[in-house]
Amino acid sequence: MHPIPPPTARRLLVDHARPHARRIAIGVLMYLSAGALSMSQLWMLGRIIDEGIIARDARAFAFWLALMLFAVIVQPLFWSVGFRLFVGAEAENQRAMLRRLTDHLNTAATGVRGRISAGELVNLSSEDTRKAAGSVSEIGFFFNNFAMFIVGSVLVWSIHPLLGIVVIAGSALTALVIGPLLGRLQRRQADYRKMIGDLTAHAADIVGGLRVLRGIGGDLLFADRYRERSAALQRTGYRVANSISWIHALQYSLPIVFVAAITWTGALLAADRTITIGGLASAFSFATVFIAVSGGLIGTASVLVASRVAAGRIARFLAIETDVDDGGTVRGAGGELSDPDTGLVVPPGGLTVVVTAETACALEACERLARYRDSEAAWGTKPLSAYALDEVRERIMLLTDEDHLFAGTLRTTLRAEPNEALAAIETACAHDVYTGLGATLEAHVAEGGRNLSGGQRQRLRLARALAAGPEVLLAVEPTSAVDSHTESLIAERVAATRAMKSTLVVTTSPLWLARADRVAWMAEGKVHATGTHAELVADPAYRTLTSHGAD
Amino acid sequence: MSAIEIQNRLPVASPAEVRRALMRLFAADKGRAVQILVLYVLAAALSVAVPVLLGHVVDGIRAGWTVGRINLVCGLIVVCVAVQFVLSRLGRRAGYRFGERAAARLREGVVGRVLGLPLDRVEQAGRGDLGTRTASDVNTVADLLRYSGPTIATAFIEVIALYVATFAVDPLLGLCSLLTLPLLLLTARRYLRRAGEMFRGERAAMSEAAETLTASGTGARTVAALALQQERRSMGYRRAETMYEWFMRVLGLQNEFFLALLWLNRIQLVLVIAAAGWWALQGGMSLGTAVAAITLTVRIANPTNTVMAQLNGFQQGTAALARIEGVNRVATARREAVPNGTEVRLDAVTFGYDGGPDVLHGLNLHPAPGERLAVVGPSGAGKSTIARLLAGIDRPRTGSATFGGVPVCDIGVEELRRHVVLVTQEHYVFAATLRDNLMLAAPEAGDALLEAALRRVDAEWALTEGLDTMLGDEHRRLSTAEAQQIALARVVVADPDVVILDEATAGIDPARAGKVESALAAALEGRTVITIAHQLQAARSADRIAVVEAGRIAEEGTHEDLLAANGVYAGLWRAWQGNRARHFAG
Repeated sequence: MHPIPPPTARRLLVDHARPHARRIAIGVLMYLSAGALSMSQLWMLGRIIDEGIIARDARAFAFWLALMLFAVIVQPLFWSVGFRLFVGAEAENQRAMLRRLTDHLNTAATGVRGRISAGELVNLSSEDTRKAAGSVSEIGFFFNNFAMFIVGSVLVWSIHPLLGIVVIAGSALTALVIGPLLGRLQRRQADYRKMIGDLTAHAADIVGGLRVLRGIGGDLLFADRYRERSAALQRTGYRVANSISWIHALQYSLPIVFVAAITWTGALLAADRTITIGGLASAFSFATVFIAVSGGLIGTASVLVASRVAAGRIARFLAIETDVDDGGTVRGAGGELSDPDTGLVVPPGGLTVVVTAETACALEACERLARYRDSEAAWGTKPLSAYALDEVRERIMLLTDEDHLFAGTLRTTLRAEPNEALAAIETACAHDVYTGLGATLEAHVAEGGRNLSGGQRQRLRLARALAAGPEVLLAVEPTSAVDSHTESLIAERVAATRAMKSTLVVTTSPLWLARADRVAWMAEGKVHATGTHAELVADPAYRTLTSHGAD
Repeated sequence: MSAIEIQNRLPVASPAEVRRALMRLFAADKGRAVQILVLYVLAAALSVAVPVLLGHVVDGIRAGWTVGRINLVCGLIVVCVAVQFVLSRLGRRAGYRFGERAAARLREGVVGRVLGLPLDRVEQAGRGDLGTRTASDVNTVADLLRYSGPTIATAFIEVIALYVATFAVDPLLGLCSLLTLPLLLLTARRYLRRAGEMFRGERAAMSEAAETLTASGTGARTVAALALQQERRSMGYRRAETMYEWFMRVLGLQNEFFLALLWLNRIQLVLVIAAAGWWALQGGMSLGTAVAAITLTVRIANPTNTVMAQLNGFQQGTAALARIEGVNRVATARREAVPNGTEVRLDAVTFGYDGGPDVLHGLNLHPAPGERLAVVGPSGAGKSTIARLLAGIDRPRTGSATFGGVPVCDIGVEELRRHVVLVTQEHYVFAATLRDNLMLAAPEAGDALLEAALRRVDAEWALTEGLDTMLGDEHRRLSTAEAQQIALARVVVADPDVVILDEATAGIDPARAGKVESALAAALEGRTVITIAHQLQAARSADRIAVVEAGRIAEEGTHEDLLAANGVYAGLWRAWQGNRARHFAG
């Protein structure tokens, strides 16, 4: 994997548009032709009236009408080819961005933990990619509208310069008045949108805690509060409706004002015989169509701003780097794993149990020993950081409740030959998972193991770790959601099947301690004492900790 | 997704019910709706007057009007536009406000109904489904009511006004302009038939892609641990490909639709020009009439496209409304029984989930009032099912679950929770202040009472941070242990007759769990406490222990009785304490 420097938002958009340069160029040509043809139809309208109807010339009438019909049939074809090219580029762009996000997740690896929330990731890979990728086709629409504007202005100008001035000034005025107003409105609406978001979150909160609200109470309290906030939102909505109605009415009426201006100017010019009646009708039609054109140009501006913001978020994500340095080169070797921060030592072979009241400290120590945190930890005679990272990952495995179960089948989850997979299921007492899913390794496991109970997920994660057969397994509370009977079986089987490998388990369960070759008792973040369980149990504090208060 | 999951989804309203729901929304605000309609129609009529007056000007110029007369008529056009602007603004404001009120009624209604849904139904359907309906579906419909609805309405009325004006200018030309309308309607129908599926497919592909990438991110350590990079890569690429394919399909559909719109708009114009020109050439029509009809037709395209562009949003809005109205269709059972006494009991109950096999087989459980009963047994034995039956969430298939002599499931929710409270390991913390999170059961409770409850469950951190602390992921995120303490403190505040703790202390550090449990026991002195646990630490101090195995009570008695009986419990206990026994023996 080549390290690519993180791009800026603009760079990202340009980089992703570049592969489509040819397509964009052809698309622009298509859109320009479509825009020009669309406007020329309105100019032909004037010719039909002047040279056909007013001149009472049936042949000229038929000629211009046929020409217009031709333009009417051909113009949408140009438009359609352009649309296909641009939106096709957008689709590929989106695919490329998703691929880039996928690759970056691998590059940044564990560096993304704590740097980005699940919610942000959802937005990045859906809304943000969509908006950023959309910039390509929006630029196409811009050219389409731009062509219509330029060609239209030129044609109106050719009817009479004064009309041209009115059309251009009118469009500019519309854009200048409505553009900034819309910008201000969007900012004002941000508060309103936030209120909507808050209220939605409140509803989600009510649904999430429905069982509590109905089981203990508070449903009336929460319903009242929801109604209050809903009423407040309505009041804000009224204020927004006040201003937004002005803007929308302006947006709608300003173009009509300028249609009226064209009509008035054109009528005086026509009365003066400076322009023809056909010219007046054309000018009126141009002004009418310009309503859509100026609206389109304003729309493009706000879409591009949104694209830029989305691309900025993607760029920030691409700037996240991996958190564990992969500079080590040592392969092979190994031996005793030790963590100087706590004094915790994992000798090769056998079952070590870490007993502590503060699971978090033990977890951190395990993270250091498995190199998910850079530290002074050592493996044999060399620092752990001197080893190649893939070597460490292959030989030392950390098992916690945070481990993710990816969507797939039991077979792809366990990643082992069928007999090994079944053996791991047996050792982890996860037979109920296997039979519950239909007694086949092809059974479906949902994302995050959602189709399994908490206890089943825990045992399946354990089975997966056992199937991987790492030289060192560091398991933090691997059986906290399992009943005593099963826990006892798991401890027995794990100790037996991994007798030749190193296993460390963080737990206070006597069922594991009964199988331990060696116990490390941690207190206040340090190893306080080591020995066999039988030796340590003489200490009353240790006894309290491991007997679950059942004295 | 299994058939059972789909079958358990909440219902979706039929098109007729959606129409009725829309009618109800309008009927609730009828006066305003009429007022808005009048404003829209007047504004549209005035805007349509512009091309009609243009026709007069054209005829006037040909007839040799004076500049003064032309100025007069053009001035009239400007007045029309100005009045139109004012009416349009008033209409829009009233329309948006109408939408805002309708949206508020809709969301308050659905949240109110959700709070009254039977719990077993909610849990069968899954939180996700209900959450979507109260959150994104409500927002989709609200957006439709607020903006797209009024926009469609104004554009639609304008289209009608334009057609009416064309007819008024010349009926034959009016008919001519209608020629393309059937094709337009067919195009719209064809598009709508396929658009729904396409956009749903695209959205589904998008959320699958998001789910895959989110999983890669949240499972980053698992990816590293198991060297899953290649698999995650090919999975991500596959999702991107699926999304691309859907995108291209949508592109095809839209391209076809827009192409048809462009053609139909301008072919309509060509038809009107041809007819108007022909008649004018024949001398059967004044030039002004022809110009008026032609310029009216030029105008029809804009509002028509507006309506067409909003069609899909309208369709999505009604689909969302169908899901929201579906919540209405969930039958709510009437629960009116009044308990007499505080005794809770299960008699010969059988129970199974979703038409599946029985998980409880004629089970009896009679906790005495004030007794502390522990229910233990291996995972999957049916312990949590017992808790749900006792709490009145599920109804037994046969046999009875009663409180105070009446079926628990028949007691009104508000009455029942004063007597029986279930705490599970699924502990929910609301995004609200600590105070609000605690006083659910007793809104009138003072701070002293709440603080005392926190002290009972050993939640020193909460006392330090204060009752005004905002909780929730965005503010103060609680650990599992802290959330459990909050759940337990709620029970202390609620102070019911019967408390069922289903693995309620599973997430608390072993060293503290014992302390919390004994403090809680003291707080619940005199109450019936049923503790369900898969581990044994909670059992020994109970007055009585019931061992559940395979849906039946295998043994019952005090700790000493059960050890003496040397049955299942004694075996479990020895496994639990085995090493200690060995230590003392050795």
